Amino acid sequence: MTDFTALLQLLTENDVEFIIVGGAAATAHGSARLTIDLDIVYKRSASNIERIVTALSQIRPYLRGAPPGLPFDWSVETIKRGLNFTLVTTLGALDLLGEIVGGGGYDQLINDTVEIEVAGVSCQCLGLERLIEVKRAAGRPKDLEVVAELEQILTETGGEC
Amino acid sequence: MKQHSTNPTNGLDAVIEAYKKDVDMTLIRENLRLSVDERFQQLMKLQQFAEELQQAGRKARSRE
Repeated sequence: MTDFTALLQLLTENDVEFIIVGGAAATAHGSARLTIDLDIVYKRSASNIERIVTALSQIRPYLRGAPPGLPFDWSVETIKRGLNFTLVTTLGALDLLGEIVGGGGYDQLINDTVEIEVAGVSCQCLGLERLIEVKRAAGRPKDLEVVAELEQILTETGGEC
Repeated sequence: MKQHSTNPTNGLDAVIEAYKKDVDMTLIRENLRLSVDERFQQLMKLQQFAEELQQAGRKARSRE
C-alpha cells in the first residue's frame, strides 16, 4: 500500500517543491477511482533536486519493476541525468516526474495549481481544469475514463476542491 | 469554466461522452462531501482492501 499522507508529509517537511498530479490529484478533486501510486511533478532546480535526494534517501527509493540488486545510485547526479523516475519506496510507489505529457514541467504547471491540506501539511495540487487537459493530452483509454469522471466533477463543483 | 467541445465528430470527445454515462455520481457526491484529507484516508483504506482481496484470490487459486 502507498502511504500517500506520509509521502506528502516527508516531501513537505523537506521543503521539496512539487505538484501533485495524476490519480492522486484526481482523488483530491473527488474522484472515486483507485490509484496505486503518488505522481508528483518536481521543480528541476539544483537546490530542489538536493532536497528531493535528502528527503527520499530516508525511504530507500529503488526503480519500480527493476530486478533486485541492480546498482541504483540515489543521488543528485542520477536525478540530473534523468527526468522521470518510477520508484518504489518503503512508503509505497512514487512517480517523480520532471515533465508530463500535455503539461510540461513544474514551471509550466505551478500557476494552475490549488493549495490543498492533507495530514496537516499544505501541498500544491494540479487544478481540476488543467488536470483534465493533461489527461486528455495523454489520451490513453484509462485517461479518457478519468476525463469523463473529472468533467462530471467539474460540472458538479465548478472546479473547487 | 472552460467548456470542452462535445462535437461527436471528434473521436476523443465521443469516447469521453460515452464514458460519462457510466460515471457513478452517487459516489462522486459522497466524496465531495469529504475534506481532501478524508478523501486520501478513504483512498488508502480502499487500497488496503484491494490488497487483501488480491491476497485472498492468490490463496484461493493456490488451493485449486
